[in-house]
Amino acid sequence: MNSPVVDIQSFAMSFDSKEVVKDLSFNVSQGEVFGLLGANGAGKTTTIRALLSLLEPTSGTLLINGRRYNPDMSATIGYLPEQRGLYRNEPVIDTMIYLAVMHGLNRDEAKKRSLAYLDRVGIGDKAREHLSSLSNGQQQKVQLGATIIHEPSLMILDEPTEALDPVNRSLLMNIINEQRAKGSTVILVTHRMEEVEQLCDRIVLLKDGTRALYGTVDEVKNQFGTTVIALAYTGQLPTNEKLYSVTKQLPHYAELSWQKDVAVDEVFRCLANQDDLHITTFDVRRPTLNEIFLSLYK
Amino acid sequence: MKFSYPYTNNTMWNIINFEVFRALKKKSFWYASIAPVLIILAVFGIEKLSIQNAQKNAQTQDQNFSQNAKISVLDNSGLIDPQLLVTQHIGVEPNKDAGIAAVKNGQLAAFFYYPQNPETNGIQVYAKDQGLSITQPYNDAATNLLKQGVSKAVSSATGNSEAVQILEKSPTVTATTYKSGAEINDLTNVIAPGIFAGIFFLVIILLSYTMLSSTAEEKANKTAEILLTSIKARTLILGKIISLIILGFVQIAVLTIPFVCAYVFFPSLLGFPSGITLSSIPINPIVVTFAALFFIVGLIMYIGFVVGLGALFPGGNDASRFMGFAIIWNFVPIYAISSIISSPHALIVTIFTYFPLTAPSTLLLRNTIGSLTVSESIGGLMVLILSAGIAIWFAVRAFRYGSMEYGRRIGLKELLRN
Repeated sequence: MNSPVVDIQSFAMSFDSKEVVKDLSFNVSQGEVFGLLGANGAGKTTTIRALLSLLEPTSGTLLINGRRYNPDMSATIGYLPEQRGLYRNEPVIDTMIYLAVMHGLNRDEAKKRSLAYLDRVGIGDKAREHLSSLSNGQQQKVQLGATIIHEPSLMILDEPTEALDPVNRSLLMNIINEQRAKGSTVILVTHRMEEVEQLCDRIVLLKDGTRALYGTVDEVKNQFGTTVIALAYTGQLPTNEKLYSVTKQLPHYAELSWQKDVAVDEVFRCLANQDDLHITTFDVRRPTLNEIFLSLYK
Repeated sequence: MKFSYPYTNNTMWNIINFEVFRALKKKSFWYASIAPVLIILAVFGIEKLSIQNAQKNAQTQDQNFSQNAKISVLDNSGLIDPQLLVTQHIGVEPNKDAGIAAVKNGQLAAFFYYPQNPETNGIQVYAKDQGLSITQPYNDAATNLLKQGVSKAVSSATGNSEAVQILEKSPTVTATTYKSGAEINDLTNVIAPGIFAGIFFLVIILLSYTMLSSTAEEKANKTAEILLTSIKARTLILGKIISLIILGFVQIAVLTIPFVCAYVFFPSLLGFPSGITLSSIPINPIVVTFAALFFIVGLIMYIGFVVGLGALFPGGNDASRFMGFAIIWNFVPIYAISSIISSPHALIVTIFTYFPLTAPSTLLLRNTIGSLTVSESIGGLMVLILSAGIAIWFAVRAFRYGSMEYGRRIGLKELLRN
């Protein structure tokens, strides 16, 4: 079996007397898109900063390709921090080249790739403009470009879709998928669960600095969620606590979870016998990650 | 005109190129560099005009005074020969009150009263008011009259014309001083090491804000986290320090070029003391070497200190409030310049010499006036080298741990604890 690209074992981090991450362990394999999830303050950014040696861990080991990270390994890493910015009063192309050279590219290659990237994301005409003259979304594209321009084997993207409109978000998803297709490993730090469901192979979900859920998206759903019947209807929804309970109810929509010793067809039979209930659509489904996330933080 | 940075593939040179060229592209850098030249030229011009005007006015006043002034005296000292008064058409008043009254009613332009002992009681001049500056010719005339009287008396008594000339005009003095058996010319000897001291103060004044903003800007722009995962903080800070030294030299060149041109094409404009030319300026290799070392190591220490301060604060504006604190240490020794010159081994001067933040300017000043022994110079240099090391360590740590604290100032305690 291949050794993991990222291996975090028993990681703990305290600031003063406050323990913000406790005994956290997980690993990320070569070529996978891995979601590091959690609410604000759950410890995601602290974990990433400690992984990249920006913070010294209180205890535990955090390794990338079997080694503690240092900037000599920067050619293999593309990092898009949560709190990010570039030189606002410099031309976009100069900043991109400057950072690309720092990641090991030679100047000519850096320039060629930077211009190609800017064309690709539709801001080729902004290459000589100052970053401050670009919109937030355009600045985000430049920042993402500076992260991936040297084609790193491990990309760590902390909230990459913040401030992007749906079109640009879709473009970003495509770029992430392309990098993955080229064999890059991606760690996606986010609290946008729909992105996680679209992109991630495995996830770890942090709550109050501890690992609350860990595994593939399927495994997490199986670990945590119960299957529900989602109904769109008109009329009167009957109550029958022996068979099911209503977990969510809107004027013409409801989600039912049925009792352990009850078969699902018994529930449907009960609903079919209700004269004043007209079911327009139904779906038997597992909960979404968003629902799991919300119920975890209830 | 647009230009790109001449990047190289070496990380350190990549940083230096980027930092130097982005500073050179800023208008504020050039304004700050050129402003002192313009100010110096303006001051020179104004001073020259003022001197010309003052001389012209003085000439006019003297002419008016000698042609039109009607003067009387009362000499109770007996030192003024009455014949002298006759030849100069100066009258004599019967008493002091009559002289004052004649001035008051406009009959006299001035009345000079010489009491019995003018050397202790002084000469009293009563004159028509014509503004502050016009009293000087009266005062000069009153004094000269007394001097002429005394000279005539001495001449008559001794028959020695040389003694009279010495009384009338101070003889010129030529001083030759020696240090360790070698002849020393105090004025020309301070020029070479003094240039280093002058440049040090100029660079501190002109470049401090650029130093401070070089890290504060990265914190404000939130680029620090990307940089710290790409390069070592030490490499980045050293790159910044080297860049700032290069920018300092650019500013020095901007300041120097006009004066070099003036020296070559219009040397009289610079008003060098007579007999002093560039080729006559002595270069003492030991003194100049120490001056260069104090300058460069002192500058590195100062840049390290200011760059570190910049990384501690949330942004350039917050950091700039501490600019005064950073700069003032270099100028504190100037307030003690009289002690540095007259008592170079006084306790306060010794403290300034070896206290890290005042050491660069004190060492440069003492080296300029020649009050440093070689052992003191070596001791001072050691202090500077050690302080520069600590300043770089501080800057690296401040950037490493302070620059990610966006919007927050990191305390010294926090910095040391990390």
